[in-house]
Amino acid sequence: MTDAITVHDALLRFGETAALESVSVSIPQGTCFGIVGESGSGKTTLMRAVLGLQRLDAGEIHILGTPLQQGRAALRQRARIVQPIFQDPAASLSPRSRIRTLMNEVGTVLNEPRAATHERLLVILKRLGLPESVIDKYPHEISGGQARRVAIARALLMKPSILIADEPTAGLDVSVQGDLLNLLQDIRRAQNITLVVISHNLAVVRLIAENAVVMRAGRVVEIGEVGALFGAPREAYTKELLAAWPRVTHAASA
Amino acid sequence: MWALKRICSERDGRLGLAFTIAILAFALLGPLFSPDPNVLDIKARFAAPGMAHLLGTDNLGRDLLARTSVGTRYALTLAVLIVVISSVIGSLVGIVAGIAGGWVDRAVTAVFDIVNAFPPLILAFALIALYGKGSATFVLLVTVVFIPQFGRMARARARTLRNLSFIEAERMLAVHPGTIVVRHYLPNVAGPIIVLASMNLPVVIAFEASLSFLGFGVQPPKSSLGTLIKDGFVSINQSWWPTITAALVLAVATLGATLLGEALRRVIDPKSAGAR
Amino acid sequence: MAISLRNLSVDYNLPIGTAHALRDVSLDIQKGEMLGLVGESGSGKSTVAFALMGLLANNARVTSGTATIEGRQFDLTRHNATASLRGRGMAMIFQDPMLSLNPVFTIGAQLIEVLRRRAPGGDRKTRIAQAEDALAKVKLSNPKQRMDQYPHELSGGMRQRVVIAMALLSEPALLIADEPTTALDVTVEAQIMREIIGLRDRIGCAVLLITHSLGLVTEHCDRISVLYAGERLESGSVRDVQRQPGHPYTRMLFDCEVPIDRERHADATQNRFTVIAGELPDPRRRPPGCIFSGRCDVSFEDCAKLVPGDYPVAGNVEHGARCLRLVTP
Repeated sequence: MTDAITVHDALLRFGETAALESVSVSIPQGTCFGIVGESGSGKTTLMRAVLGLQRLDAGEIHILGTPLQQGRAALRQRARIVQPIFQDPAASLSPRSRIRTLMNEVGTVLNEPRAATHERLLVILKRLGLPESVIDKYPHEISGGQARRVAIARALLMKPSILIADEPTAGLDVSVQGDLLNLLQDIRRAQNITLVVISHNLAVVRLIAENAVVMRAGRVVEIGEVGALFGAPREAYTKELLAAWPRVTHAASA
Repeated sequence: MWALKRICSERDGRLGLAFTIAILAFALLGPLFSPDPNVLDIKARFAAPGMAHLLGTDNLGRDLLARTSVGTRYALTLAVLIVVISSVIGSLVGIVAGIAGGWVDRAVTAVFDIVNAFPPLILAFALIALYGKGSATFVLLVTVVFIPQFGRMARARARTLRNLSFIEAERMLAVHPGTIVVRHYLPNVAGPIIVLASMNLPVVIAFEASLSFLGFGVQPPKSSLGTLIKDGFVSINQSWWPTITAALVLAVATLGATLLGEALRRVIDPKSAGAR
Repeated sequence: MAISLRNLSVDYNLPIGTAHALRDVSLDIQKGEMLGLVGESGSGKSTVAFALMGLLANNARVTSGTATIEGRQFDLTRHNATASLRGRGMAMIFQDPMLSLNPVFTIGAQLIEVLRRRAPGGDRKTRIAQAEDALAKVKLSNPKQRMDQYPHELSGGMRQRVVIAMALLSEPALLIADEPTTALDVTVEAQIMREIIGLRDRIGCAVLLITHSLGLVTEHCDRISVLYAGERLESGSVRDVQRQPGHPYTRMLFDCEVPIDRERHADATQNRFTVIAGELPDPRRRPPGCIFSGRCDVSFEDCAKLVPGDYPVAGNVEHGARCLRLVTP
């Protein structure tokens, strides 16, 4: 089966620095893939390149076997396949439009009769635990948590096969982040979506993803199945990352 | 109208609103209280304010209340027209430049810079000298002088918006670019533009008055505040009344518009209000 | 000499009403000890730090609270009660180092200013030497060069080191670190934590580490205090609290943390994340009984009626929690 996403030898330079260099990644369909790294690792740049928001200097990206091209037609094709969930979901909702308007835009893009879009939306809202009344509100009238879910709802409304979540748990308390992560896992399984999670949180990625890549300074450090990657890392940097992660399991010497 | 309420809650806002309403009333209702502005009455020229002529008469015996009222109407109409046209055109051009980037952006910015490099009055003189006097031309040419300001503001806003999450999200949904501009860019650019427009109104009022005073603006038989001041100025030794009336009205109009504009800015865009 | 905080209560005047950010919070820190104050959003943990430092916002009001630092008592309800301690007895490290660093002055100038405030007499040459020495102690490369650099020339981690150096020079009795590593990468975080511990060992000060990360606390702190919705629910040594959490919230919080060595289960349904259901109570109106009773998984009827006191856990006076279960057979 073709991979959901393949990146081959991606190169992107901003002046002197290489934001991405010789990056090659393959993400199988229907799996959860983690992209881990610290700041400046290039993980966000990679995501933007895959979404088409950033053009590469060299290298190729294939989405479900089709090469990624610029231009409006290609964008329209891609929008039905890949959807992002941005890091600050509330900010990804246009502040002066009602939720209804934002959802209707999806219907227009998909060339779907309004009634059909609305029906699908109700189903999705229910699954995400959002009340129907949220449709008539403006983004600033709903809570941060609800805004997060609305952003996910809109992404799902596009019927994507691939969801890319950028730091989905950023800013969330530990006691509530589980909710979102469980939700993402449920959605993935229910609809057989390929889920790509970009995070600096190693522990979360280890649990939620089947495969992952560790990036540093624009390069791939190590890539593979999470058990092997985190359980028996080969590269020094991966080991360093894991060692630095604060451990809840052993108490300080007192 | 919550904006109105907020404006009235401050002293400056109330003053600005009061002045503006007074001037508008003066402009619109003036003719009700005065004789025809075009009637000449040489015998009564340079009359001081009195029962027959509430504000006195000018050098040709025309009633000043009537003339000033007409002049104010004209001055305000021109100013509003100029501000509206330049803000609309400026916004659209600015947004397109901000979104498009590349050579389009560079070209537009270059044009803005060139226009802005000239001292506004001089530029207006030059254009009017080239293209002739007359109200319609006047509006168009002065508009040219003021477009770059709005264009710059709109462009800056558009460039900021372009990188914001929600615009990117709209792009990722493959929403039509036109829809994105109208539904998502425009409302978020409108705020600062409206503020800028209201702040520019007094400037344009004074600008038009200056040009008219120098004879480059409104041409007789039409009159605006500037021409009235000029007419009065010529014979100021015989009666200071005509000049003073027009000048006073101009001052109140400009002050009122300024105060109102600042109050509006504080209401719409508190972040740029500075110390307040 | 210990640091002791008693009955700290802080209100915030908001347009929607008065929010009770902290209610009767007490804590103790011994010299040379690091206490981890753990809380999530709405817990009020940063308010504790600001109240101690006298940096509360204008709409905040300390309704009660006394702090004893190095034997001196301070009434925190008075404005700027601890002003005399700033830069001398007490130092603070913020999440954003730029809150402590002035962008228009060189690193050297700012370090020297700390020294000058501490000891007005003394010559510039000695101060420069001391400043460079401090920079070396926090393992900043090229200390001499750094002295003439500006904050914007350094990375986030380096700036934090400079702030720690400043704290070092002020030789505080109490160091407050408010989320010092939250904005930093995990590898840098480990290094900065080492510097903070190094600082503590060098000077022997008490350290109040405010964080949302249980991992940081269990790895580096001696004692832990758990804050929830403005109330202290549990206090004890890290070892005691970890082995036997006295309060359900503490236990659930530990459950929610994903340990780095937890392996992914082959059966996908086994990879669930733990959650604490429910929401924080309205800070304007404290619900009756235990503040956590709405979200607790082992609460019983009395929990919503009686306010629990601070009870020892397993007979250990050093380990206390506010849970009725501890005194109910």
